[in-house]
Amino acid sequence: MPSLPSSVDLDECIARLYKKELLAESVIEAICAKTKELLMRESNVVHVQAPVTVVGDIHGQFYDLIEIFRIGGWCPDTNYLFLGDYVDRGMFSVETISLLVCLKLRYPDRIHLIRGNHESRGVTQSYGFYTECVRKYNSANIWHHFTDLFDYLTLSVVINNQIFCVHGGLSPSIHSIDQIKVIDRYREIPHEGPMADLVWSDPDPERDEFSLSPRGAGYTFGAQVVQKFLSVNNMVHILRAHQLCQEGYQTLFDDRLSTVWSAPNYCYRCGNMASVLEVDSNGGRFFNIFAAAPENDQVKDMQMPDKMNPGGEPGALPDYFL
Amino acid sequence: MATFPSPSSPSSATKTHRQYSFLVTTTKLPILKSDPIDALGARLGIPIPEMIFGDNLLSLTHVPSGWSLSFSAEPALDLVDKTGASMLKVAYASEWSATREKTSAGIKEVVKPFDWSYSTSYRGTETRGANGEALAKKKKAGEGKEGKEGKEEKAEKAEQIPLELLRRRDPILFADEVVLYESELDDNGISVLSVKVRVMEQRMLILCRFFMRLDNVVVRVRDTRVYADFGDEKVIREWTSREDKFENVKRNLYMSGLMPDAITVALRDSNQIANLLPVVEHEVESVSLKSA
Repeated sequence: MPSLPSSVDLDECIARLYKKELLAESVIEAICAKTKELLMRESNVVHVQAPVTVVGDIHGQFYDLIEIFRIGGWCPDTNYLFLGDYVDRGMFSVETISLLVCLKLRYPDRIHLIRGNHESRGVTQSYGFYTECVRKYNSANIWHHFTDLFDYLTLSVVINNQIFCVHGGLSPSIHSIDQIKVIDRYREIPHEGPMADLVWSDPDPERDEFSLSPRGAGYTFGAQVVQKFLSVNNMVHILRAHQLCQEGYQTLFDDRLSTVWSAPNYCYRCGNMASVLEVDSNGGRFFNIFAAAPENDQVKDMQMPDKMNPGGEPGALPDYFL
Repeated sequence: MATFPSPSSPSSATKTHRQYSFLVTTTKLPILKSDPIDALGARLGIPIPEMIFGDNLLSLTHVPSGWSLSFSAEPALDLVDKTGASMLKVAYASEWSATREKTSAGIKEVVKPFDWSYSTSYRGTETRGANGEALAKKKKAGEGKEGKEGKEEKAEKAEQIPLELLRRRDPILFADEVVLYESELDDNGISVLSVKVRVMEQRMLILCRFFMRLDNVVVRVRDTRVYADFGDEKVIREWTSREDKFENVKRNLYMSGLMPDAITVALRDSNQIANLLPVVEHEVESVSLKSA
């Protein structure tokens, strides 16, 4: 594997990012190109061994990502699996994805990054990452570097051959893990098909089978679907993210599926808890719950929904609304 | 560690401000936990938006009469269409259903059709005063008679919220903003109901806004403005519903001179969009609370 340009010192990049400093555009470009080569060799289903700490949606909440490392251990001392949705909505998507990509490149077997529905060109243009890139770098170039890289992220991870991990959920087109392996994933997330379902679908505890979303696109999956998928693939649990939970996690279907949510006080206003799921070497699962990092107080109340503008500056003036 | 008030101790999450005869109260708490969400869903019969601030409240009370108007999530969600009669489809729905038939034609069931855009015509929850005081449309001067349009117009005009007084930079003595619910519509846009208040020395304004943008389909802004004059103890409630096709909104933003990047930002900001949308419904009510 060709090495990074000698001017790029990955450890120094990581040290700077831990301090929330931005990297130069040329450095981001080199690191993304390098990481792409690395990800290209990963299967659509990556197998890992526990112990591993599984992290749900981060959404640019950089201070809370650092809090996760403080609580769960620093990389590479702790193995990490991130379930996607690194960017959008929070104030520091660029810093968050920069750090995660650098860590992936530095410790490829210690950290795994799954693709979430926000790792997409379309969604990031509406929900903040694009705007933040342009604001922080005065051009859309780094947005292109990162979104091109997103096309290479893997779709799923299996822990100890028994826990299936994905961002959203199951798909009616996928019965066996082998059907995931043959998906051509090196592309923008499509609106339909198995790749879309894996990053989009939600469980519905009141149902048995797949159902259509009332929105006219997308599925929910029920208890029988989960049971069948686990038995066909000889697994015991499905682990996913994608849905906000006030408690930081939710377990459904007689402990056959968990949702892990890792963005505390989501959007700096929801007041919810967050968690990471620690899987021990025997496959035991423990939710480590945490609240928003104290550093967030600096950005508190900046984002009310009708001025929801993750790339913008906070306004401190009194609001003479009409 | 950042801490949040819990629903068991709402007092720490509640702010009040008394100005003459009026009392303003706001309560801001975290989103509901899963059990209260399940209970709310069972009461309302629809899935609950993912960001549900079910304990939040903004209320205005006229203390002497006991009249009040409050804003909270549950009654607002109760007005969401639960039948699916006004159900929208995401922009790519037809493309989606056409291609999916190949792989999963067996799945036909739509779970509980309902208006998943959470569009509501909520204007607040009113409690009548001790003497039956309640918001009502003002009887027009010329009602029942013909040829009195001039007079009619004058009566209508007297009923409007005095924007010129609200534009003055009078010191704001109390201000707050409370989100009631919010959904990202599975990343197809945004639906948010929030309410804010500002109290000046002689008057105050509440704006409860429902903002919904379904990408490439439609944009809605439904505003309830509540104006109280502390001197004459009169409250005016003005309801304005605005709506336009998404493509028209985008075109109008473009015509206003915005660059594509600024349009992306503007589409997230109801303040930049509201005045571009045509009014589809407008209604003014008022109530006089001064004791005789």
